[in-house]
Amino acid sequence: MADTLAEKILGAHAGYTVKAGDVVVARVDFAMVHDARAGNALRQLEKMGAANLPYASRTAFVLDHYSPPPNPEAANTHIAMRRFAEERGAVLYDIGDGICHQVLPEGGHFTCGDLVVGTDTHSTTYGAFNAFGTGVEGTDVSAVMMTGKLWFRVPETIRIELKGRLQPGVWAKDVTLTMLGRLGAEGANYKALEYHGEGVAAMDIDDRMTLANHAAELGAKAAILEADDKTCAWLRAHGAREPRSVRADAGAVYSQRIEIDAAALAPQIARKHRIDDVIAVTDVVGQKIDIALIGTCTNGRLDDMRQAAAILKGKRIAKGVRMIVTPASRQVYLAALREGLVEALTAAGASVEAAGCGTCVNITGHLIPGDDQVIVSSANRNFKGRLGNPKSEIWIASAATVAASALTGRITDAREVEGGRWRAAA
Amino acid sequence: MQNIKGKAHLLPEEINTDLHCSAKYMPGKDTAYIAQHAFEQIAPHFVSRFKTGDVIVAGRNFGINSSREQAVHAMRLLGVAAVVAPAFGRQFFRNAINNGLPVVECDIGGIDEDDALEIDLTTGVMRVPERGLQRMFPPLPAAIQTLLAAGGLIPFLQRYPDWKTA
Repeated sequence: MADTLAEKILGAHAGYTVKAGDVVVARVDFAMVHDARAGNALRQLEKMGAANLPYASRTAFVLDHYSPPPNPEAANTHIAMRRFAEERGAVLYDIGDGICHQVLPEGGHFTCGDLVVGTDTHSTTYGAFNAFGTGVEGTDVSAVMMTGKLWFRVPETIRIELKGRLQPGVWAKDVTLTMLGRLGAEGANYKALEYHGEGVAAMDIDDRMTLANHAAELGAKAAILEADDKTCAWLRAHGAREPRSVRADAGAVYSQRIEIDAAALAPQIARKHRIDDVIAVTDVVGQKIDIALIGTCTNGRLDDMRQAAAILKGKRIAKGVRMIVTPASRQVYLAALREGLVEALTAAGASVEAAGCGTCVNITGHLIPGDDQVIVSSANRNFKGRLGNPKSEIWIASAATVAASALTGRITDAREVEGGRWRAAA
Repeated sequence: MQNIKGKAHLLPEEINTDLHCSAKYMPGKDTAYIAQHAFEQIAPHFVSRFKTGDVIVAGRNFGINSSREQAVHAMRLLGVAAVVAPAFGRQFFRNAINNGLPVVECDIGGIDEDDALEIDLTTGVMRVPERGLQRMFPPLPAAIQTLLAAGGLIPFLQRYPDWKTA
């Protein structure tokens, strides 16, 4: 039987061959609960009334959304999470340690072929490491902590082939925005994505994580890449179990096949309020901006900060522009400090904040835009009111586009500014 | 599984339940408060017109984005008997099943506000008997119908702690 990656991984965890459309009960390797859902998860656990939670030790509690807590309720949820982790032996990532989707792989908690669930839609990120990662809720993780298993509907898969390599100044973000423009938000609803091809092979791990992460905006249940030497080296360096890549079979059945000419892609941007209102950056060059954000689980990694620093080092952002950079984790922050990126960005006028989810969604309350302000952000969602003011606009683009736009105060094609064609040495 | 009979309450497409039916943007508010203010921004007086046992009939992608489970808890408090939409946000769909709230993926064309609906989840038929209107939909897989019939995942696991129903 020829299997997709989703069928292969879910089948291995169910213990028999499965096909798209089947509903299966599968063994879960690792689970994640973050602080925006922990209150609910703990209430569901209480309802469940299980005396023992044998799988709690394979669960991470992450304090990232309400980091730092904006009110006593959030601070109290944090206290409850710390206590639960201590009593039940769950892994704890405290305030400032980082965003769940960054600290899970960094902590070596899973490897190729694993099945990982998290209380967050962007749990698709784990697919960058050849794992089936998917978003669930409090009831689900309660079931996992009690039984080590969960029900899944095996998704159909869209196979995406990236032909050729991305040109300098063009990133995984631009690939996903292109897909969003083509398929529409929720265009992959209920489905898994597989990304293949030279364009993926040429990407660094950071960019591959963006690709898998951002699949959530397409509605995808999972987004899985095959593993190569880069993946395995990264997993080993972070202490994961010995990786063995799971591969899709030739002849696997896909609901759709899409080819993207990666070498021909240009930087893309999603305009206000709709993540699938995507156009080429060159078509909106000159649009005035007020706030520039680099961060989040989608694009707050070292490579994103390197892109920004390559553009902003030794310069100043435009007068009147507020720029915030939020590294995705403490490890990313430390690496950026060692490389001098924090200094370069701070000197250029950006505020570099402690790791967390704060710049993505207005729940820490420290980033509320004013009326008619235009935010250009490397985050993942831009619906009206996302940052706490429905009269503001959020535009979504790569870290390079955000940095170039901060420099000029207007939407700018990074390829047209000094340092905007930066790319890591192979 | 029992048939569902209730009045239709229409909502538009692409409803973000985090925005309209959760405390994500109302920190500290409990589920009872959320339930009393559900969807008021998009459908004024929604809650005052909604009776226990009624049905939400929404446009496509109901519950898109991160969709907190609390939205389903609030709908259960309101007594929502089922949600019908041409397509759901993935997370909402899962949360609904885990909490014993039937979700019906079905064409809603022709359904009006206050229509008296009858839904048979097992055979996959939705009808408005008064007007002779009938819509077919693919019934949910048997395993999911079992979860729904148990009242959701928690009561299911309390009854079948090893997931085995046979």
